[in-house]
Amino acid sequence: MDAVATAFGLILDPYVLMVMGLAAVFGIFVGSIPGLTATMATALLVPVTFFMEPVPALAAIVTATAMAIFAGDIPGALLRIPGTPASAAYTDESFAMTKKGQAELNLGVNLVFSALGGLVGTIVLITAAPALAELALNFSSFEYFWLACLGLTCAVFIAAEEPLKAIISLLIGLFVATIGIDPAAGFPRFTFGVVDLMAGVSFIPAMIGMFAVSEVLRGVVDLQGIGRPTQERIGNIFRGVGPVCVRYWKNFVRGSAIGTLVGALPGAGADIAAWISYAVSKRFSKEPEKFGTGHIEGVVDATSANNSALGGAWIPALVFGIPGDSITAIVIGVLYMKGMNPGPTVFLQNPQFIYAVFISFILANLLMVPLGWLAIKSSKQVLNVPRNLLLPIILMFCIVGSFAITNSVYGIVIMLAAGVLGYLMEENGFPVAPAILGLVLGEMLEQNFMTSMIKSEGSFIAFFQRPIAGVLGVVTLAIWALMIWRGLRRTQAVTA
Amino acid sequence: MRFNDAVIGVVLMVVAVAIILYAQTFPAFPGQDYGPSLFPTVIGAALLVASAVLVVRGVVMRRGTAWAYFAPWTREPHHVVSIALVLLAVVLYIFVSDAVGFLLSSFVILATLFIWLGVGWRLALVVAIATTFVIDWFFGNLMRVPLPRGILNLIS
Repeated sequence: MDAVATAFGLILDPYVLMVMGLAAVFGIFVGSIPGLTATMATALLVPVTFFMEPVPALAAIVTATAMAIFAGDIPGALLRIPGTPASAAYTDESFAMTKKGQAELNLGVNLVFSALGGLVGTIVLITAAPALAELALNFSSFEYFWLACLGLTCAVFIAAEEPLKAIISLLIGLFVATIGIDPAAGFPRFTFGVVDLMAGVSFIPAMIGMFAVSEVLRGVVDLQGIGRPTQERIGNIFRGVGPVCVRYWKNFVRGSAIGTLVGALPGAGADIAAWISYAVSKRFSKEPEKFGTGHIEGVVDATSANNSALGGAWIPALVFGIPGDSITAIVIGVLYMKGMNPGPTVFLQNPQFIYAVFISFILANLLMVPLGWLAIKSSKQVLNVPRNLLLPIILMFCIVGSFAITNSVYGIVIMLAAGVLGYLMEENGFPVAPAILGLVLGEMLEQNFMTSMIKSEGSFIAFFQRPIAGVLGVVTLAIWALMIWRGLRRTQAVTA
Repeated sequence: MRFNDAVIGVVLMVVAVAIILYAQTFPAFPGQDYGPSLFPTVIGAALLVASAVLVVRGVVMRRGTAWAYFAPWTREPHHVVSIALVLLAVVLYIFVSDAVGFLLSSFVILATLFIWLGVGWRLALVVAIATTFVIDWFFGNLMRVPLPRGILNLIS
């Protein structure tokens, strides 16, 4: 309990609260501007939090992302453009409600259920993470090797649309992770004599490039993409939310549960959580014919799901160091920079930091209601910020941010390369998230494999000899077999 | 720029073969079967297989579509210059910021991009100056990032 008290002390510090407040405003702004995502908000925040203590740094990321995921709903309802990909699943539904004159109800429901969904994700995080951490204390390099494999597999498995392109994206990430001094023998690989590359490809500049610079590149050719809000004046958003709560509380519970689970799976985050829960909502609805015509039911599911996914994603990130989504992929980088290597030992050595993350999650979701209300009220101004001013400023921020991580132009070079690569990948239908996961997990995978091989004196059977490792290994291999089988059937269907 | 999957596949296959060949030059780990070359080789091999499948799929599914597709904006010189300017700005910053300094590089990059993207020149100059000073104050002073001073070194 001491740690909890310490954690409260850490969070309720005026400086930390101020940082959270600013992060909240930043998150709402980034989230409500179409084309700027929650991941981008995180990537841009990292250079800013670089010199902060761990607690304000993590609290800032938690707050900004929670706000951004909610704020993405605002342009969805008013402009029919999702502010972040996480709102895309129900943008048409929301806009249909606006056209029926129900923008207030839609925004109110989005706000209230985003906050509630976020709280559910947080509660699951608070209960599940420490329990899993206790289990994970017994894990050795064998279990971690399989966990990393499972994490990478998830990234491909969930991207059901184009598994082949997801695999290629993943392999690109894994390859980039091998650049630099290798973890076992200390031999510099693919460095071509460049000293900067010896330490590997710096992760944060790569993220800034992939998620922010690529958006700037997309944005400058599409400046006129945004129209004017269809509804200029927003009335009382909380009217009618009560009856929706009473009528659709089951949808809320289901959406949050799906969201937390999907969030906790590596490689899938808030956007996929929203798509899945919206589909589930329609599938089990008593009135599926109303979906798409401006019906609130699916919105309840999906808006709860995308916010609960945020909390869920922190579970594997904190316990195993395996990111649940691209936001926590950055968070893991931040944790390493702050010297708190994610893993079960953090829960023993620095429990106050873990509790501080929990508290900032709760606080952020409570703050969301008043701040979200303000954001909705001022949406007209925010949505009118000219993009031709915004994009160059973001670019400059990316440049300085990447520079700040390495204190040299090397960071900017990585940012530029990753930005162009990310842009070309997305243009050609390659998802970026698996590459990021590969980049984060590549070293963990290789290190644990090499350590295990040295321990077992080169015998591969050892990977199945410990009970948990054996189960994880069999599950991983089974999923691979299933994926190959599905792939073969698909090819047959295409060629036939 | 969108390419047919086969085109991307061929490029990736070349990359994969290069990775595999280069990895064979890595020294072996004494007394171990598994050395620094293992992971790059496995990744390269997997990439080779996956991109080969991509090539086959791209050829099968092509059905008369073009090998490369250029989005409508690529035919508008203004947009092409926009993208080129963004990339050029970053490249320029990489090469000259150390000599010229952050303040001047940032101002020139911002002002140029603003004006090209259609911001009125008066507003563009004001925002470029303001943004440059805010970033300099925030990162340079508050966060203690050693932003290059460049020409300021000549004065003081």
